[in-house]
Order: sequence, then structure tokens, then C-alpha cells
Amino acid sequence: MNVGRGAGEGARRLARRLIHQRRGQIVSGMVLLLSLAGFGALGFLVAPTLPKPQERSFTVVARRYGYDPAIIRVNRGDTVRLRFVSEDVVHGFYLEGHDLDVRITPMRSTVEVHRSGHAGEPEVVEEIVFRAEREGKFRYRCSQTCGFMHPFMLGDFVVGPNRLLPTSIGLAVGLLLGGFILMLTKSGPARAMEKDDAA
Amino acid sequence: MFVQAKGIRALAGTSPAVATLAPRGPATAGRIDLLQAVPGLRWLLTRRWFQFAMILPNLVLFLLFLMAGTFGSPVGNRNIIIIFVWILWWFLLISVLVPFLSRAWCIVCPFPFFGEWLQRRALVDVRAVDPKKGKGGPGTIIGRNRYFGWNLRWPKSLTNIWLQNIGFLGLCTFSALFLTRPIVSVGILGALFVIGTVLAVLYRQRAFCNYVCPVSGFLGLYAMASTIEVRSKDADVCAKCKDKGCLAGGERGWGCPWLMYPSKMDRNNYCGLCMECLKTCPYANMTVNLRPFCADTRLKGYDEAWKAFIMLTLALAYSVIYLGPWGFLKDWANIAEKADFTGFLIYAASLWILALLAFPGLYYVAVWLGRRLAGADIAPAKEVFLSFVYPLVPLGLLAWVAFSLPLVLVNGSYILMVVSDPFGWGWDLFGTAQIPWTPVIPDWTPYLQVPLLLVGLAYGLKTGYGHARRLFTARGQPVRAFAPVSVLLTAITVLFLELYLG
Ligand SMILES: [Cu+2]
Repeated sequence: MNVGRGAGEGARRLARRLIHQRRGQIVSGMVLLLSLAGFGALGFLVAPTLPKPQERSFTVVARRYGYDPAIIRVNRGDTVRLRFVSEDVVHGFYLEGHDLDVRITPMRSTVEVHRSGHAGEPEVVEEIVFRAEREGKFRYRCSQTCGFMHPFMLGDFVVGPNRLLPTSIGLAVGLLLGGFILMLTKSGPARAMEKDDAA
Repeated sequence: MFVQAKGIRALAGTSPAVATLAPRGPATAGRIDLLQAVPGLRWLLTRRWFQFAMILPNLVLFLLFLMAGTFGSPVGNRNIIIIFVWILWWFLLISVLVPFLSRAWCIVCPFPFFGEWLQRRALVDVRAVDPKKGKGGPGTIIGRNRYFGWNLRWPKSLTNIWLQNIGFLGLCTFSALFLTRPIVSVGILGALFVIGTVLAVLYRQRAFCNYVCPVSGFLGLYAMASTIEVRSKDADVCAKCKDKGCLAGGERGWGCPWLMYPSKMDRNNYCGLCMECLKTCPYANMTVNLRPFCADTRLKGYDEAWKAFIMLTLALAYSVIYLGPWGFLKDWANIAEKADFTGFLIYAASLWILALLAFPGLYYVAVWLGRRLAGADIAPAKEVFLSFVYPLVPLGLLAWVAFSLPLVLVNGSYILMVVSDPFGWGWDLFGTAQIPWTPVIPDWTPYLQVPLLLVGLAYGLKTGYGHARRLFTARGQPVRAFAPVSVLLTAITVLFLELYLG
């Protein structure tokens, strides 16, 4: 009888300890999640508000192995006009996420435009015009084998407000600060609990 | 006697004070014995032919790559050696094999094949000798195995990974050459075969793998994070073992070719997963465990710490050069074509100074600051430094995965192309030679890179703080000690985020 009561007591104590440990884990997880969500959201919100949509024109000069401008920055809603020049050999201008692949020939002001929807003959144009609708960073890459470093010939097309960047920086900071909170709480009660376990 | 031993173990279960007196075995927390869990796995791994069967197809493949690189198209993206080695192999290695399967590459690696064959004069069999009776006879007896070749001991001053550190950094300085020119890749892979063979004839066992191979260095470092390990099961069995087959070899297998003492192994760094100790252990006490990510957390020397600095610096430099928009940097690195020696010198010098001095220096300042903030510390400065460098293992590994991901997603279609036309001669073996270059979800890669980098940072913070708690015991001390380093780790992550997303 006595033994049974002892065992029951032990089991209850074990259960209580388990809940206590789990509660610690749940609380830790919540703290971390809140910190991540909080700072992520903060990053998302600090992104600048966009000015009124504009028309932006660029002449992209391609040469082995890069583009000038190397970085094109526009805002969502802007109308983008692109003209192309190649200074040496045939290059490409494949724009990620935009179904646009341009073939640039040296000494020629027109370019051939390939789009996946339009099979067959490419469109020959002097200028490409489109509206920047998706925010984020999209690389433009050479799509015509042009030499040794061809696979690494690329540029950046950045469409504001590009909120993924501040959001992800917010997440990293949230991880750091959430981690700090956990560390501070751990070095207190958690440490004391370990000592309990040892005794 | 037996009762007493049992009593001690029973005590060890309840009191940490006694647990420290009990024989220290390898960590077992969160481990799953794969040889028990997976039927047939022990049988497979203990077959004498296992490693040979693994290497052979890979050897044939690499010899084909060498032929394609020598005789095939000089255009990188038309030649199987470039696409398979630097895109497919590299990606699988850094994002699948290393994080999940430790040094599994070393099981199938063809480079030491010829050397080991010359050392053993056997591909599958074992040459076992009784060291007392077998004196005389050809070759050299080490442990209970007979080896051929010179069997010199590797110089003591080089029994570290500094050669690998410098060799890898040197090689990577010229990455623009071997990434784009098949013939340069042939030179490098060919040199690995030749050096591996020559060193195996001169020096005993896997001296090449342990101390020279440039790939081996970072495999060892990042394998610390990996989710599998070869370990002994029961430390008591090893303590009582008189046979020491894992070390000395015997009739069932060779003594550890990596010069490890497998029964006492507590890190993945220098275990090539050759599985000889699984075969030689008379008690079947060696096994393969599944374990949590980042389970080995102790760097043991400055050579390993600098490997971590070099690897992270290279991930950063490559992200700037190969994923960045700046053409002039590509020109500087591309010395063979552009011949801009001043540019190349600036690039190479910055890379070396950053990897060997500036980044370690910055890190040192952060560690020093942490020790100052924490006040008196009990641990030696070197141990604190090495412990706080460890977070660069998960951070660096995940940064490399994040860097390699777009390479394979963008250029993966070349894999199908060169399979049909490995030499770039216009063949079409499988009808895939005409597949156009098709980047796969290039616009979504940032959404994959962000979680990868954050996971690296999270494990960096977790393991670093774990070390801080071990080294600094007073209340509040660990947080203060680790604070500057944790801020630095976050800053590094933000730098990668800026590069990939900004
Ligand atoms: Cu090009």
C-alpha cells in the first residue's frame, strides 16, 4: 500500500517534471517564433512607400562578361524600356521570372525577342517595353554561349520595394534577439533546474 | 567483480559525480543505430567487396570525364567534365552528401584508388599476418596487416590540415580557370590521381587523404555537422577489448586506413567511412548512427578554425564573383583570358588577406570582446576561441548550399544535354542533346536561400551558446561572452542576404 502510494507519487512527480520541461520548450519556441514574426514583420513594414509609377529607359550594353548597367533598379508599376547594344559578340538577355529572352547582335540596333508563349519566329524589335509587376530581385543572364565565363555573365534587375530583403534581415535579427532572450532565461531558471536534476 | 561493475553502472545512472568516473564513451543522445534499424545494412557494409564495388563505377566515370576533358569540346558548358564535376558533383557533395551522409564521398572517391591498390596489392582481400611469426617476407607489417610500398611515416609537422587549407585556397584562387576550361579541370583531377598514387607509395595508409587532398579538408570540417557517424556502441566493450582490430587490422579487414583509433572516435572529421572497422571489430561493436545535425562541436586546432574562415570567405567571394553583377571582378578573376595582372593581384591578395588575416582578426576581436564582457573566465583563451569559431561550421555549410543552389537550378539543364553529348561532338545518345538551356525557378531561389541561411545562423547561435555555457559558468556570463560573436554571425548572415536579395 505504502509502496503503491510512493510509486503513484513518483509517477505524478515525473509527469509534473515532464510537463514542466515541455512547458519550457513550448515557451522557448513561442518566444523564438514571436521574435521572428515580430522582427520579420517590422522588416516587411519599414520598406519605403513607392512613388508614382514612372517610365524608365535603359540602354543595356553587353560585353564579355557583364552588362552595363550591372544593376537596374525600378519600382513596381514602372514602365521599363530597354534597348540593347553588344560591344563584342552575340549575347543574350534572359530575364528571370519575366518570360523574356533577348538575342543581342553586335552592330545592330534591333534585337530578337523569344517568349515561351510565342513559338516559332522571334519578334524583331528596337525596344522592349514592359511594366514591372513583380517586386524582388531578378537576375538577367546571358543566354548565348559567348566565351569561357558565359555562365556567369549576369546583372541584377531589382524591383522595389523588394520587401523580401528587409523581411529576411528582420528574421535574422529576430533570430539573434529571440536567441538572446532564450539564453538569458536559460542561464537563470534552466540552470537551476539542471542542478535540481543532479541532486 | 561483476556485481561491483554493475553497481557502478547503476550509480552512474543517477549521479553525475560518479558518471564522470565511469569510462567515457561516445555520446549516445539522440542516436539511432542504423545497422540495427535497417535490415541488411550491416551485411552490406561488412562485405569485403563493398568499397571496391562503390568505387569502381565512379572510377570509370571519372576516367571518362578525363577523356572528355582532354579530347572533347573546349567550351565548358558543352563538356561533361565541367557540368558533371563542378555543377552536379559539387552540388550533391555540399548539399546532400556532407550535411546528411558525412564523408560518404570518401567511400566512392576514385583518387586514392590506385595508390591503395599498390599499398595493399589487393582490391578486395586482406593481407593478414601474425606479427610475431610473419617477420621477413615482402612488404611492411603494420599491426596485423602486410603493406607494400615505402610506408614512411608522414612528417610530424605536417600532421594537420594546413597543407589542405593553403592548397584549397590556392586552387580556389584560380576557380575561374577550372570552372570554365575542361583542360584545366583535367589537370586538377589528373593531378589528384597522380599525387594520391605517389604519396600512397611513399607514405603509409591514407596520408594523401588525411593531410594533402584539398577536398578532404572541408569535407572533414563540415562532416562535423553531418547526420551520420561511425562510432563504437559500448565503451565498456572497447575498454576490455584485447584484439584492437579496428586499429591493428586482422583477417577480416585492414587497420584503420585513416590512422584513426575507431573505437575512441568522437568526431567525424577524419573518418572516411571506409567501414573497415565494422569488419575488423570482433565484437561487432562498431556501428553507423543516425544523429542530430551539428552533433560534433569541438574544433581541435587552429588549422581547423582557419579552414572554417577560409571556407566562409570563399563562399562570400564566390557569391560576389559568380552570382554578383560586377563584370570587372569576373575579369580580374579570369586571368587566363583577360590577362589583367594588376586586377588579378588585387583580387587574389584581397581573397587571401580576407581569408587568412582580416576575417580571423575580426573574429578574434569579437571573441576577445566577449571574454572581456564576461569578466574572468576559467577556460584557456585558445579553447574559447576554437569553441566560438565552431558556429562557422553550420553557418558556412549552409551558406555554401545557398550559393550552390542557383548554380544547379540555372545550369541543371546542361546535365541532360551533356549526358547525350558528353564530348560536345554533336552526339545525341539519349535524345536530350538539343534540350535548350532552361533555368529552373530562378525567380524563386531567393525564397529557398533565405531559410537556408537562417537555418545556418540558428545552428551557429545554438552551438555557440552551448559552448558559452560550457566554458563560462557564472550567472549571466555565457550570454555576455557569446554576445559579440553572435552579433558578428548575424552580420555575416545579413551580408549574404544583401548579396542574394538586394
Ligand atoms: Cu554573353
